[in-house]
Amino acid sequence: MNALVLLGAFAVLCAIGMPVAYALGLAALVAAVWIDIPLEAVMLKMSDGTDDFSLLAIPFFVLAGAIMGEGGMAGRLIDLAKVFVGFIRGGLALVNVLAMTLLGAISGSSVADTSAIGSVMIPQMVRQGYPRVFSTNITICGSLQALLIPPSHNMVIYSVAAGGTVSVAHLLIGGVFPGLLFGLCLIGLVLWTAHTRNFPKAEPVPLARVPRIVLDAVWGLITIGIIMGGILSGVFTATESAAVACVYAFVVTVFVYRDYKLRDLPHLIHRVVKTVAMVMMLIGFSVAFGYMMAIMRIPAVMTELFLGISDNRYVFLLLVNVLLLVLGTFMDLAPMLLICTPIFMPVILKLGIDPIHFGIIMILNLGIGLITPPVGPTLFVGCAVGKVTMEEVSRELWPFYAVMCLALLIVTYFPALSLWLPSLLKF
Amino acid sequence: MTKSRYAAAMETLYVACIAVSGASLVVITLIIPYGVFMRYVVNAPASWPEPAAVLLMIVFSFVGGAAVYRANVHIAVRALVDAAGAGPRALLLRLVNGAMALTALFMLLWGLQLVRTTWHQVIAEFPVLSVGVTYLPLPLGGLLTLLFIVERVWVGEPPPTSVMYRDQAGALE
Repeated sequence: MNALVLLGAFAVLCAIGMPVAYALGLAALVAAVWIDIPLEAVMLKMSDGTDDFSLLAIPFFVLAGAIMGEGGMAGRLIDLAKVFVGFIRGGLALVNVLAMTLLGAISGSSVADTSAIGSVMIPQMVRQGYPRVFSTNITICGSLQALLIPPSHNMVIYSVAAGGTVSVAHLLIGGVFPGLLFGLCLIGLVLWTAHTRNFPKAEPVPLARVPRIVLDAVWGLITIGIIMGGILSGVFTATESAAVACVYAFVVTVFVYRDYKLRDLPHLIHRVVKTVAMVMMLIGFSVAFGYMMAIMRIPAVMTELFLGISDNRYVFLLLVNVLLLVLGTFMDLAPMLLICTPIFMPVILKLGIDPIHFGIIMILNLGIGLITPPVGPTLFVGCAVGKVTMEEVSRELWPFYAVMCLALLIVTYFPALSLWLPSLLKF
Repeated sequence: MTKSRYAAAMETLYVACIAVSGASLVVITLIIPYGVFMRYVVNAPASWPEPAAVLLMIVFSFVGGAAVYRANVHIAVRALVDAAGAGPRALLLRLVNGAMALTALFMLLWGLQLVRTTWHQVIAEFPVLSVGVTYLPLPLGGLLTLLFIVERVWVGEPPPTSVMYRDQAGALE
């Protein structure tokens, strides 16, 4: 009955349209009143939820990505990608995927990448004779690489949701191969589609222009070096490397690229505050919600329930994947991570599944939910940028869903993909 | 106080919230690299940047969170609201406003209680500061949210000219 009060209150508050963050907080407070727990304890958890040092990486990653994205980095990475794959049949679609891989390694946000790369690539692709819907679809699907490739702020959110027991650095590094695999699967689909639909080839980039293009892009790519190098060497924590990357990104875009004007900074800060404060509130309230779930032994009950269905880890992973794919269509990634992780964590530990591996599965799975109607922020942004309707896009997304589900299955059943790189870290 | 005056006051309050959160973010972004610089370059590690950054992060979260509520960018499941007719939708919105007011009131009253309880303890890294200060953003966030809820219920949605519609947030997945 206690669990019903907590979960029921949350479900009802969400259903009537209350912001998810506040619904989590109010449900926790109602449940605390119900089982007679001092409300100060719940308040303490709400505040504690936002005072974790590792959480600081979230605004830093978003800020660095925003500075780079708006400071001319997207165009330079597209030019770099054209050097490598632009001349192949379907080259511009491949450029789109590769530019997403590179920008994803700087921004960590699929929505930001869809907007930054899509606004440049979709018009170019349409001018070259690519169907507008296909151009939009490859943009929104390619942007999901940012969720896996470091620096993904979703990894930080998962680490917090897992109670801080999973290292952010290990999670970030663990996402590298799954992210690249995801990109490779999309490249395979593009090559096949380009062959069957006879997509155009572009002219190779003249050799004389290549050094200039590479040099231009290198300034931005150093950000990846700062973040990855700092974490891998153990010199910086993930939070410190993200902060240093912010300062570096600012210096490069304002003083080297000169695409960003200092007078635009307040607008950028306004945008970042609106983006990040929402997530921080969500995290604070979800910690209070998780505290109430723990008091009511909901994770323990769910563990017994799942183990009652099957104690085979592969069957469990399949069930969880199906469940998350369905739930992910209705709710965004961050709240799903914050609500579901504490519930699943005891089960996966009991079944011997590595939490790093599980985190990457969850993020990839829920990432697919970002491009499925009815709730798909990346899909909405992609449609707006590509000037197509959601119905048109959805009708032709099926091959992409199939490829993404294939990538999800590979990541699920080959844990080494996610775990090999973290195993090399010496801390 | 007239509706228009209250709306103007809330507009100013919104800008103040964004300014405080934004300034917190900028300061955090500068002091963390400063800590790294002191540790590796000067070889004289500073102990204050990390706890100061965490403190500012709490301010950023709850003050910025209240502003985000006014700007209507919190994640919400709107399937039922969108599917409902005009009458039921108005009822749902009233229910949401009531639930939001209740949450904000909880934050304000029990947050203040928490501040009172911890006011006489001091923060180890900043002996001049009370532990209660670290919890102050919670009731402050509750109060600000409550003021914005009153605006929404009494005055209605801010006009399209409001600064809150500028610089649209990138949804954060």
